[in-house]
Amino acid sequence: MSFTIIKSGIHSTIQDRGRYGFQKYGVPISGAMDPASAQLANLICGNEEHEGVIEFMLHDAKLFFNEPAFISICGSGAHVEINNEAAPFNRLLFVEAFSTLIWKPSAIGCYSYMAISGGLNIQKIMNSVSTFTPSRLGGLKGEALKSSDLIPFKSSISSASTVKNFTKKNGFFFSKWSFPIEEYRSNISIQFIKGPEWSLFSKDDQLRFSTEPFTVSSEVNRMGYRLSGQLQHTEKKPELISSAVTKGIIQVTHEGQPIILMADAQTTGGYPRIARVCPTDLPALAQSRPGRTIRFKEISEDQSKQNIDQYMNWFQQIKSSIHSYRNNL
Amino acid sequence: MQLPKLYSIAYNAVTVEFSQEINVETNRRVMDLHRAFEKNPFKEYIESVPAFNSLTIYSSASLSIETCKTYIEPYIENKVDMDNHVECKLHTIPVCYDPTWGFDQEFVCTTLQLPIEKIIQLHTSTVYDVFMIGFVPGFPYLGILPKELEIPRKQKPSLRIPAGSVAIAGKQTGIYPTEIPGGWHVIGRTPIQIFDPNKNPCCTFEPGDQIQFEPISLSSFNAYT
Repeated sequence: MSFTIIKSGIHSTIQDRGRYGFQKYGVPISGAMDPASAQLANLICGNEEHEGVIEFMLHDAKLFFNEPAFISICGSGAHVEINNEAAPFNRLLFVEAFSTLIWKPSAIGCYSYMAISGGLNIQKIMNSVSTFTPSRLGGLKGEALKSSDLIPFKSSISSASTVKNFTKKNGFFFSKWSFPIEEYRSNISIQFIKGPEWSLFSKDDQLRFSTEPFTVSSEVNRMGYRLSGQLQHTEKKPELISSAVTKGIIQVTHEGQPIILMADAQTTGGYPRIARVCPTDLPALAQSRPGRTIRFKEISEDQSKQNIDQYMNWFQQIKSSIHSYRNNL
Repeated sequence: MQLPKLYSIAYNAVTVEFSQEINVETNRRVMDLHRAFEKNPFKEYIESVPAFNSLTIYSSASLSIETCKTYIEPYIENKVDMDNHVECKLHTIPVCYDPTWGFDQEFVCTTLQLPIEKIIQLHTSTVYDVFMIGFVPGFPYLGILPKELEIPRKQKPSLRIPAGSVAIAGKQTGIYPTEIPGGWHVIGRTPIQIFDPNKNPCCTFEPGDQIQFEPISLSSFNAYT
């Protein structure tokens, strides 16, 4: 069972929840940029939520399925066509053998995820299939996907005729039920908690950070999003001794540019950390394209905790309703 | 002893910061706490990340500063026994100091006003602590360098430093695990692959281990591969 990459797209990688337990060796966690969408895609497919998926950055990817499969596509950043017909996101899809999937441009978002029922058949490196291209870890030989790559998967179904509640299109079938996740990403105000070095910044910079808009610059990748919109940062800062950093931390360069660390964040760093993003806002942030305006809003540690609890409850609900839908397949 | 300072870097990660300086004693406090957690983890413990003067503890659930305080309390009261540092391994790492590999030797000799023989002798006669592994996977920060070898980083980083390069900067020395850009001065190269993701563990050294370099000739370097 496999599909073939006809066109790689801008940056397509295999990701799961990431690599844990190796940061003491300087190995980043990696994993999906928008873990909520990756997990949703897996649950819809009946997989364990942390199974490996394909992460597509924006559009331009083209795949060819050599065998039939149940799949689902979640996230944002592209419109997907299966055999030239628009395919809905957040649903269970059945694709026949010899189907072609194309990722076409869309107006919003950045990362979409394709999960396959049964999961990818990829060897784990350090307990994870996540690709970290700078050190060539995980994925297929540590690289982003490229044309003519063959991606093996584990499922072994032959037809959708046995499933109920599916709608047939010319090119594929899709489930009548769907699980939109958009409600969790409509807000472009990003909640933050004061960072360890917050007090090293001037009152002016603190105020500017909390009230003025910042724009996602064109310097964005899986390691970090650089924002345009400068902090003055004029006061002489003491030289910091490097210590651990992680996803969500907003560090400020010596030139005053904020960088938000993302999934491939280095394990240690020495820039002053003005803030950290509330983890429930990270998926929306990851889905922000260059040019998108972001405003930061300060919240307390308690509020952040409440947001996390609320998200977890919501996720548990989604999980159990997906289970009950899947039981009726 | 000064009590460490605790702060959060994520909802599930707390950094325990010891004194505000880079030295062997502070780093050993970090490593003692790191080993204590590895040996005796709390239920939600994922990992801890040692740095020069701090240890960051990651949990699979929320981790508050107060909770973390209760986890570290049993360990931080004890004084570090500087003479009884038994749990670390001492690794002898062969290094070829031939100018073929030590690209920056000329600059280093001129800046430090020392002949290369003296630099090699000083670099190989010291036992270094692995203060932390970071920057890129597998890069060990080693210290403390003999005072005579202290040299500022390059003004402009080199775009390509080959894997295995042994370099110095500031009070530290390090080994480049893979080919990457870097700002340290390369004085030699080890034939040993110090980072291999297919091996368990992936690194030749653990943070907190010790390293001593052993000079080898160009011909024995070539015989390694």
